[in-house]
Amino acid sequence: MFNPMKLAAPAIALALLTGCAGGGVPAQSGAALKPDAEVSGAITVWSWDVAATALKRLATSYSAEHPGTTIKVVDIGYDNAYDKMSVSLQANSGLPDVITVETDRMPSYVTQFPKGFTDLAPLIDNATDDFDPSKIAASSDNEGRLLSLPWDSGTVGLFVRTDYFAEVGIDPASIKTWDELVTAGEAIKKKTGHTLISTDLSGGGIFSMLLQQQGKGTFDSVGDIDLNSPEAVQALTLMKTMNDKGLLHNVKGWDGQVTAAKDGKSATNPEAVWWIGTLTGEAPELSGKYGVQPLPAFTDGGGTTSNNGGSTLAVPTQAKNPGLAGSFVKYVLANKENQVSMMKDEGLFPSYLPAFTDPLFAEPQEYFGGQKVYQLFAEQTAKIPAGITNVDSAKAGDIVANAVVSTVLNGADPATELKSAAEQIATATGRKIAQ
Amino acid sequence: MTATLTRPSAPKEGRSTARSAAGRAARRAARRHRPGYFFIAPALALFALFFIYPLVSSFIQSFQSISGGETSWVGLAQYQRLLDDPLVAQSLFNVFLILVIQVPLMVCIAIGLAYILNQSWVRFRTGFRAIYFLPAVTTLVAYSLVFRVMLATDGGAANQLLGMVGMDPIDWLNSEGWARVALIASITWRWTGYNMIIILAGLQAIPAEQYEAARIDGAGRWAVFSRIVVPQLRPVILFSSITSTIGALQLFDENFILTGGGPNNATLTPVLYLYKVGFQQFDFGYASAIAWLVVAIIAVISVVQFRIMREKS
Amino acid sequence: MQTLRRSPLYVLLAIGAAVSLVPFLWMVIASTHTTAEIFSTPMPFLPGGELWTNLARLQEETGFARVMLNSVLVATLYTVFSCIVSAMCGYGLAKYRFRGRGLMLGGVLLTMMIPGQVLLVPLFQMMASVGWINSFQALILPFLANAFGIFLMRQAFLEFPDSLIESARIDGASEIKTFYRIVLPVARPQLAALVIYTFISQWNSFIWPLLMLNSEEKYTLPVALNTMVGLSRVDYSGLMLGSLLATLPLLIVFLLFQKQFISGLMGGAVKG
Repeated sequence: MFNPMKLAAPAIALALLTGCAGGGVPAQSGAALKPDAEVSGAITVWSWDVAATALKRLATSYSAEHPGTTIKVVDIGYDNAYDKMSVSLQANSGLPDVITVETDRMPSYVTQFPKGFTDLAPLIDNATDDFDPSKIAASSDNEGRLLSLPWDSGTVGLFVRTDYFAEVGIDPASIKTWDELVTAGEAIKKKTGHTLISTDLSGGGIFSMLLQQQGKGTFDSVGDIDLNSPEAVQALTLMKTMNDKGLLHNVKGWDGQVTAAKDGKSATNPEAVWWIGTLTGEAPELSGKYGVQPLPAFTDGGGTTSNNGGSTLAVPTQAKNPGLAGSFVKYVLANKENQVSMMKDEGLFPSYLPAFTDPLFAEPQEYFGGQKVYQLFAEQTAKIPAGITNVDSAKAGDIVANAVVSTVLNGADPATELKSAAEQIATATGRKIAQ
Repeated sequence: MTATLTRPSAPKEGRSTARSAAGRAARRAARRHRPGYFFIAPALALFALFFIYPLVSSFIQSFQSISGGETSWVGLAQYQRLLDDPLVAQSLFNVFLILVIQVPLMVCIAIGLAYILNQSWVRFRTGFRAIYFLPAVTTLVAYSLVFRVMLATDGGAANQLLGMVGMDPIDWLNSEGWARVALIASITWRWTGYNMIIILAGLQAIPAEQYEAARIDGAGRWAVFSRIVVPQLRPVILFSSITSTIGALQLFDENFILTGGGPNNATLTPVLYLYKVGFQQFDFGYASAIAWLVVAIIAVISVVQFRIMREKS
Repeated sequence: MQTLRRSPLYVLLAIGAAVSLVPFLWMVIASTHTTAEIFSTPMPFLPGGELWTNLARLQEETGFARVMLNSVLVATLYTVFSCIVSAMCGYGLAKYRFRGRGLMLGGVLLTMMIPGQVLLVPLFQMMASVGWINSFQALILPFLANAFGIFLMRQAFLEFPDSLIESARIDGASEIKTFYRIVLPVARPQLAALVIYTFISQWNSFIWPLLMLNSEEKYTLPVALNTMVGLSRVDYSGLMLGSLLATLPLLIVFLLFQKQFISGLMGGAVKG
């Protein structure tokens, strides 16, 4: 009785093995896209959150302008969205025609699934200068193909509680360097008891933001580990100094940041432009108490912005209708009018530089006491240094976060911890440490 | 097939005169137990259809390396990596700490609760059972927010309570020791009521006469508990211990949500590490090797548990 | 007198109950406020007035009613069939000594020991190759043979008195009839525990449905609620309300089936 079953099981397994083995290697290498191709049929787009809302709105207008096309936008939720996409990439099936991928995630997809994405450069006639340069770098592979098109930018500025600075008689605009900010922070702490910055140290806090501000990353441009750079030591030392002086307030996750902001824990917050949406949405009562200015530099004349977050749209090679997919992506992203509408309706800050000429960006914002904050961010966007991420960034991220915790919370020496982190990353990834 | 299987076959004595009596008895026993195949058939078919390919595939993958879309055979290299990887050692250490502290703690509380809530004189039994069971039905997303709010360093409910008795606030999720404590507490909170229900069901199956008999013998409350209840519950307690052990060794949800494995890898578990390796670093070969290491460890512990519980098989 | 003597016990039970209940009560309160109010200091301790607004938004953004129906359908179908498979297999493993029994038990335990994460990609490939992506059967069929359930039932039947089964055989009852007429009724409490466990595991199942379902009309509750977690903003009040409502059917299932744990069998036994 048992024997037939015993034989059947491996047989079924074998059938399945031959039936659906394949691994992550797509058979095709992606369609060649043209800027003005004829389009028809239907596509499916995966996205999340307000990005999905924006795409649903623009899908309707696209279909109206292009009769005979249907665009279905599915909100797959942000949490675990990458699990869904990674499994489909790995299994080489199940992906739709267009997917949303965050800028920081794109390099690891590009490295791991080089045949998984369609080159979008021909779609925009190679006019990559129109986009946030840091995003273009993140979306390109080393053969110069553009595997996803930048959507929104996470341009970073310094959010300032102007009322706290007023209490100690310091004009925030006069602060140009981090050292000056720390000095001001000490005065505020002494007078009001408020800390300077609320950050999630267990995730590495503002460390990677500070690295990118200086045009550096965990890795250098050839992929060597770059954590021993003077810039990295400087960034971590700054964080340690702040904590030693009692200027850091450690929080957990987005909800921790929101609570801290609502409670007015800290005097400043170096954060991306999308933080505006969080503030106006969750803390309307703080209207008039905030201002925004460029990040303080490390040295006079040094970089004053960085990037945190932002997304891109990609057309997988699995797409069944790449022509329509490409056309829709171009319509949404490489289009001033639509980028402006997404800024206006959904608060997505464009990576498409021509959009910034729209008067919308010059409007004074009441929440920020009439300051033209969007203009500030627009000016900064073109100046964002390229962040360097690759397939090992996720692995390195945990090690770097641990180095941050040991240094800032447990009092270890920054240079020593970074050196040890670099060695750990070298062991884990087999990469060289830059000299 | 079912028809012949379901009827206990009537012995046909006449033909078997030439064979030995022992052989006959064995064959009869084998025939008697043949309907077992009928009962396991649906499960067997489903396992064969849906589990053999994934299991075999993940096993094969543990001997491969996938990089840049290219798959190559690497022999035992992935298993070699396990030995040299400090994070594997660290995650195993973390998980054994949880195993040694949390599992016995939770199973004991669950047995005690189940026993108490099985007594007819306890008022509001149904209410208490439902309340204790609530944590097991809470969705993960609610669970995560609730715990993060309660464990927040300033203003969190836990620290406010400590403040009321004059203690300093604790940086729950950022200190290695306290993060482990918080993790153990949150797992216990979530799963104790669930184990209580399983054990409660087991208690219900103990015939009332056994208690009666013990009472007539003049046994006290503790004697009834240790001489009647615990021995009868042995299979259920074994179930609870093994599944809780598996739950602990495969711990993922709680630390993924609360700490992400931090601080400083103090709450990293093998499965969280496997997830990071596979789904964030796309090293599915190594992830599979970690998975099979977990299987090996659980298998060894389970065998020991079966032995300790002296299950006759 | 007795109640007085037992009051320490009640105090302990009440403390335990409070620990279990507080997070839940907090969800109730949170679901009646806006997200901004949830994060204000001090945290709100009383229900607010936003329940209907939150409910309307929940329905509009996730199609909550439909999603709830999907979940009920999937979880019910799964529970019915999975419990049958588990009870049968558990009985077979506990009460028959057929050849290969040890192998089967080992196999069952193996599927429980392997971290599910490494099975996702190959299982996904299987589903894709038979065209089951975005279908409910892909949520139900692959996990119908449930190792936890089978193991639970095996352990439950181990202590079942053989004499009862023997006497049924002598009376000429078929094996199947013995199983569902004699064995199952006696194992009612454990079956109830199995039903509760099975229903909950499918109801709260998240990663697999997320991988399988590609259209919002087919989403189950956890997948739909997940869409309320945004990148730079999280709709916590909607999430809390959704989670709360998602818990209600589970409570109903629990209360319905826990009735099988009829108490009082040991009524007089332990009076002190």
